[in-house]
Amino acid sequence: MNLWKDFNQGLIRENPVLRLMIGLCPVLAVSNNATNALGMSIAVAFVLIGSNLVVALIRKVTPDEIRIPIFIIIISTFVTICDYVMQAYTPALYQALGVFVPLIVVNCIILGRAEAFAYKNPVLNSVLDGVGMSLGFTLALVTIGVIREVLGAGSLFGITLFDERIAATIMILPPGAFITIGCIMAFLNKMENKVL
Amino acid sequence: MGKIIKLGVTLAIFCVISAGMLAYVFILTGPRIEANAKASFDGSLREVLPGAESFKSVNAPGAKSEIYEGYAGDKAVGLVVKVAPRGYSSAIVMLVGVDPELRVKGMKILSQLETPGLGTNVEKPKFQKQFIGKGVKDALEPKKDIDAITGATISSRAVCEGVKTVLKDSEQYRKAKP
Repeated sequence: MNLWKDFNQGLIRENPVLRLMIGLCPVLAVSNNATNALGMSIAVAFVLIGSNLVVALIRKVTPDEIRIPIFIIIISTFVTICDYVMQAYTPALYQALGVFVPLIVVNCIILGRAEAFAYKNPVLNSVLDGVGMSLGFTLALVTIGVIREVLGAGSLFGITLFDERIAATIMILPPGAFITIGCIMAFLNKMENKVL
Repeated sequence: MGKIIKLGVTLAIFCVISAGMLAYVFILTGPRIEANAKASFDGSLREVLPGAESFKSVNAPGAKSEIYEGYAGDKAVGLVVKVAPRGYSSAIVMLVGVDPELRVKGMKILSQLETPGLGTNVEKPKFQKQFIGKGVKDALEPKKDIDAITGATISSRAVCEGVKTVLKDSEQYRKAKP
């Protein structure tokens, strides 16, 4: 029961992007098309689950005073591994995501979950929290990416749907990210008020 | 005092483990990363100078750009020059291939961070096609000789400047070479 709760709270109720509103910087930047959004989500999921796992494993031997530097070391190790692997095996995606792969280090979702959850909970719960939060992040990011790509470029995952000239270019520019996130949040709040 | 040492040692142990892991991953992926970078650059060189099979990096006195001489067998079939003119919001890194008569044969933008939807259109073939066949004596004034991209005059001008630099440097290289 508890495990299930730890898993699913990241999906909607505490969705990192749409409810907690953390980690917005990469969300705004890489959600201009669905492919980048999915690639970024996978990278973040790898780092988040890995760091939650390791932080939960070592929480008993971690002195309280230096826990933050230790978290940062763990997170940056995972990010660098991810960076190398992407560079070696998916160079096209790596090029598209550019500086946002190394910047996963400072993504507040990851440090936030290490500090708020993994440091205080057993390994299994922490991994499930990581999976749930990653899925929540993926859900939010890919939804935004799909909406922006379809409306802004007239394509989906790079496949053309309609003529680019009638697409609203603003949707793939930075304002489009704010507009999309705002609309999704408004929709979620509305739904919540109705359901609860 | 004892506590500080204990904390320091703990932190050091974490760093060493992390460094060890990274070194291992780097050894595994390093050669592949290098091969990828080389393959993608070689591919781009071939793309802008069709017909060339191998490339050699060469130097031209006075030219700041990177120049590569393309060969088909032993025969020199042209040059590829890498330039990075300053655009609106980034350096537009591009490769331009020129044939032995010093006319533009092909071009490719390697990286740029111009305004999406406007400046990024410098990557469109419709814009780049205009430069094909231009030589060092041709005027390359945006809006006059070259149709600039709507809403991206600065990016268009940067590409024109880049091509001019390429043609000048190629000429310099040809002159310096006996």
